[in-house]
Amino acid sequence: MPLFLAAVLGRATSALTRLFGRGGSALPGLIAEKLDPNLVEKILRDTPVVLVTGTNGKTTTTKMIVSALESRGKKVVTNPTGSNLERGVASALLDASTFKGRLDADVAVFEVDEAAVRSLSPRLKPAVLAVTNLARDQLDRYGELQTTAGHVATAATHAGRLVLNADDPLVASVANKTPVSWFGGVEAIRERMPDDRSLYGDATETQHPDADALVTDSRPDGDGQIATIRIDGTEHRIRLQVPGVYNAYNAAAALLVTGLLGVDAVDAIPALEAMEPAFGRGQVLEHQGRRVKLLLVKNPASLNHAIEILKGMTDHARVLVAINDEHADGRDVSWLWDAHIEDLAAMPHQYFAGGVRAADMALRFKYAGIDAPALPDFADALDLLVDGAPPGATVYVVPTYTAMLRLLEILTPGASRTEVWK
Amino acid sequence: MITVVHLYPREMNIYGDTGNVIALRRRLEWRGIPTRVEAVGVGDDYDLTTADIVVAGGGEDLSQMRVADDLQARAGAVRRAVDDGVVFLTVCGTYQLFGHRFVTADGEAIPGIGVFDAETIGGGTRMIGNIVVDSPVGPMVGFENHSGRTMLGSGQAALGTVVRGFGNNDTTEEEGAVTVNAFGTYLHGSVLPKNPAFADDLIARALRRRGESGELRPLDDSVEAAAAASASSRP
Repeated sequence: MPLFLAAVLGRATSALTRLFGRGGSALPGLIAEKLDPNLVEKILRDTPVVLVTGTNGKTTTTKMIVSALESRGKKVVTNPTGSNLERGVASALLDASTFKGRLDADVAVFEVDEAAVRSLSPRLKPAVLAVTNLARDQLDRYGELQTTAGHVATAATHAGRLVLNADDPLVASVANKTPVSWFGGVEAIRERMPDDRSLYGDATETQHPDADALVTDSRPDGDGQIATIRIDGTEHRIRLQVPGVYNAYNAAAALLVTGLLGVDAVDAIPALEAMEPAFGRGQVLEHQGRRVKLLLVKNPASLNHAIEILKGMTDHARVLVAINDEHADGRDVSWLWDAHIEDLAAMPHQYFAGGVRAADMALRFKYAGIDAPALPDFADALDLLVDGAPPGATVYVVPTYTAMLRLLEILTPGASRTEVWK
Repeated sequence: MITVVHLYPREMNIYGDTGNVIALRRRLEWRGIPTRVEAVGVGDDYDLTTADIVVAGGGEDLSQMRVADDLQARAGAVRRAVDDGVVFLTVCGTYQLFGHRFVTADGEAIPGIGVFDAETIGGGTRMIGNIVVDSPVGPMVGFENHSGRTMLGSGQAALGTVVRGFGNNDTTEEEGAVTVNAFGTYLHGSVLPKNPAFADDLIARALRRRGESGELRPLDDSVEAAAAASASSRP
């Protein structure tokens, strides 16, 4: 089938799905890929590609790179949050192409699932492949971590340049003969960003202490943080709107990628500072006169990131941890026992357990020495969380993916999920 | 003083089995029983007969290989500890290695230490989901995720009978194995926090081995019961 026909049909599907408000961003790509399996590489023939993969931080890192490039006048094609499988990439490309399959973009930046990157990388031959981190994640869906690392290592052999986390031994292990730009943190920072093995007692050791982008400091600032990142001997103080040490790492990775695409750090930083949090990743929503801050979690590492943020707050806060076990969350909630919930016991915060598996979360809290009621009803949980907080105060919701979708139905009634998604 | 040994915490920790150590420590502490938790890893010199309860979890294939070699080196010591009545809780990967052997999908045989008269064959469809088991301490619930199929020898006691899910394999309706005070199971979840009767049974066995009564002060387990009920109702 000629390229233009697949592109036309794919675009037509895209228009129809939008018309009917289904927000199904993968469907057009799925159809077009069926019609022409080489559609994606044909459209991207003359466009440099950046792929961002890893367990946590894909979405935020991708958003940072896109924001920085666009702020410098570059036309960027990217995939919407979470639509990070092959068909999501195809759909994004169709949306950005003419009916003849000509792409109107200077560069393509895609976040790609750790398994999908294995097949996408040889097809797209990315100019840059960035890997944020690799940690255990929903084992009933993704399988073993070594297998995932193998997928990423295969992908790395097809990239022109690698941007890798120097402080994550599994990420560092995918390095090959391809030139690598390393990002990492100084020791005090590294200890707050444990890799998968150091979660279980191994020391956090960097593989490359002289990283090309080195996080030297991160301290809370409003809803976000002030991160200090050293690049080429220059310390950059960056006021990010996204919280947590892990987002300082994401910024370091993003600055390396944009640097490789010809944008100096000083020119990229204003866009990083202006960037609002991605969907649920530090996002703040108003509810009954209070500010509800969402910290999406998916696995022990991301829950530990949220815990790290809560530990940084010395004032009393009300915190709802909402755990669902739908397919998208992972059916197995055993991972709650791997997260360092015990660290929260010493904080002056008040905790609530929510979600379909509220009872499991309440149990996890109990064994961490924390008394937290189980509130499986989402509306009840939000009411209780908000009611006890003074007007204008910030309350915290730490949800898994589908728990967050349920909460958003209450927080932003009537809003199309695709709107919030942006 | 009760000594809980966490065996291979760095290698065999993939499915939240650390929760078993947390549960034992807390339930001992809530009853005012002094407790010490020690980590024993690959190559560590440790006399397991001095332990009261030894806990070991599941791991990735690569970790399981590393542990298999180390376990061979201490096979005699482990069997002596089992004969001596030391309580063992082995989950998934270590349960498999406490059998005679684990035959991988490629046909490679990894020798176990034969505490249980059992053999595991790897490969085929993974058995994944919440599982409910009928056991001597009552119904138990957990989450299983394994492709190994474990077959018990004719004289080998199982831990329980599968009510829902797979257990040892997809044919015999048996789950786990028990030899003296050594238990093997496929239940993650973690298993002990959600199944306090099982946790207390392990503690009581350890106390009786020390010559104490094993009578335990009852605790309020309503949060545990709610979590078990919730898990039992989920796919």
